[in-house]
Amino acid sequence: MMIAFLSNNEMVPLIEALAKRLEVIAPVLSGGQPVFATWNGQELALDAENPLSSPLEFLLPSREALFRYVQLSGRYTFEEPSLPARLILGIRPCDLFAVEVLDRIMTEEPCDQAYLGRRRSTVLVALNCTRPGSECTCAQMGSGPGCVAGYDLALTPLGDGYLVESGSPAGVLILREHPQFFREASNEEIARKEALLAASREQMIMVRPDLSLQSMQEAISAADWERLGDLCLRCGGCSFICPTCHCFNVLDLGVPDGERIRCADSCILSGFSRMTSGANPRATQGERLANWYRDKFVYMPEKIGLPGCVGCGRCHRVCLARFDRRKLEALP
Amino acid sequence: MSEYIPMQAEIEDIDRVTSDTYLISLHILEGKGLSYRPGQFIMVSVFGLGECPISIASSPTRDTLQICIRRAGRITSGIMDSRIGDVLGVRGPCGNGFPLERMGRDILIAGGGSGFATLRSLVNYIVDRRRSFGDVTVIYGARTSQDLYFMQEYKGWQMAGLSVGITVDVGDDSWTGNVGMVTSLLDRLEVSVGSAAICGPPVMINSVANTLLTMGFSNSDIYISLERHMKCGLGKCGHCNIGPHHVCQDGPVFSYDRVRSLLESL
Repeated sequence: MMIAFLSNNEMVPLIEALAKRLEVIAPVLSGGQPVFATWNGQELALDAENPLSSPLEFLLPSREALFRYVQLSGRYTFEEPSLPARLILGIRPCDLFAVEVLDRIMTEEPCDQAYLGRRRSTVLVALNCTRPGSECTCAQMGSGPGCVAGYDLALTPLGDGYLVESGSPAGVLILREHPQFFREASNEEIARKEALLAASREQMIMVRPDLSLQSMQEAISAADWERLGDLCLRCGGCSFICPTCHCFNVLDLGVPDGERIRCADSCILSGFSRMTSGANPRATQGERLANWYRDKFVYMPEKIGLPGCVGCGRCHRVCLARFDRRKLEALP
Repeated sequence: MSEYIPMQAEIEDIDRVTSDTYLISLHILEGKGLSYRPGQFIMVSVFGLGECPISIASSPTRDTLQICIRRAGRITSGIMDSRIGDVLGVRGPCGNGFPLERMGRDILIAGGGSGFATLRSLVNYIVDRRRSFGDVTVIYGARTSQDLYFMQEYKGWQMAGLSVGITVDVGDDSWTGNVGMVTSLLDRLEVSVGSAAICGPPVMINSVANTLLTMGFSNSDIYISLERHMKCGLGKCGHCNIGPHHVCQDGPVFSYDRVRSLLESL
């Protein structure tokens, strides 16, 4: 591992240098809100709250072409889309953990090559969280506030700049190829990182001391799903915003030539499991909501050894229903 | 290459099964064709309309790959409207199929409605490998006699030594056979206790399985082929899950004890 220090005023020159070779995705302000977007010199929003739309969008897009079909004399040829080489800057530990979750699901045999292709051509520069958001629970879910694996480079904001740690050969290469932007990190700076992350962790635990994977599993067992289903507004917002939600629909667009695309879908929606006959194995909203929670807190731990909740808090930020999504109880 | 890119299959033949159901013979244009087992399914696409899961209705012991299509939705209508010589997309085979290596020699096969299509693969497999099997009974029920699939094949199955019982829910003047539930056939036929393969509507599956349990079948020897909405056939899209299992990968065939414990755990 290489450790270095990047001062605040070297950040933009570094990104400019990286953007010559790669498409750099970074949090920038759009309409006053932070969003992950292709960086073209916009002002960075690395101090803002983690954007509502996660950077997983660039690994499993909410809509992408699987292939193009072209008809000639009744026969078809197929073209696969080309994938851009990318660097995602500022992916938070919770979202980095979600990448690990998706890696295990999508690359398990039979491997999803469309996902793997994007994954392999993407460099991940993580941003550790020294100031958690009000809905953040990564400390309780074990995904943050500091990332421990899965990154190429990890940044920790120290005020005047960033402590930079490499986590892969690709990360080391960035440090080696751009020595002009970095200086050696001092022991004090390394210690400051640990202290800041420990305080960040404590802050989250203090706000919600009783929350854990186990407390969620217990709440799921005890929940009155029919009641919660009645309260759910059935918008699917929690799914479309969740970094580990990966369910999709497949559609053809175009005759005789066109694209077969996949787009995000949600088990919260009533048509998700409905068959052509009209029969629906999950007929009630309560069953659909229960499936969403069980998948994250029961099935995924069982299947891939990781929880499907990374504690990013996005579902809480978008949910309009009158129930507590952590206790799975109706609000008064 | 992406596993989402299908093989091309030319429609070789189209046979009428019922007024709204056709048996479609496919010739895969690439490679050596499809290697599959009874109970598996394929993802079939009509380019421009999309892709859906369709059970394989033919036996791997025969040359031609066949699917049985009932006009139900957009894609099945697109397949029905295709002509001989047209090209469909085919991916697969998907799923596990019937575990023939664990099913023993004496097999009961019970179908209801369009669920009989996947069982035809198993029946014809047994007919073609007759010496590997013992007492084999086929029971099948449909709504009316007009809705019965593969009527011209029953005689051949009987000639191969299979016991065949057919019933309809609603009789009419042209029908001289049984009227009533599929389970009613179990009283009339001599069935050897062994393993079973069932596919049909959920109510029919449960009543047949429960009757078999009272006859002495073990619930781990009763195999059910389940239907679910599917988009990828690869265990990724999420549509077909039952608890932690994906029907497209872990199924569509499950033993009855497993299905029951899965559904009860929800």
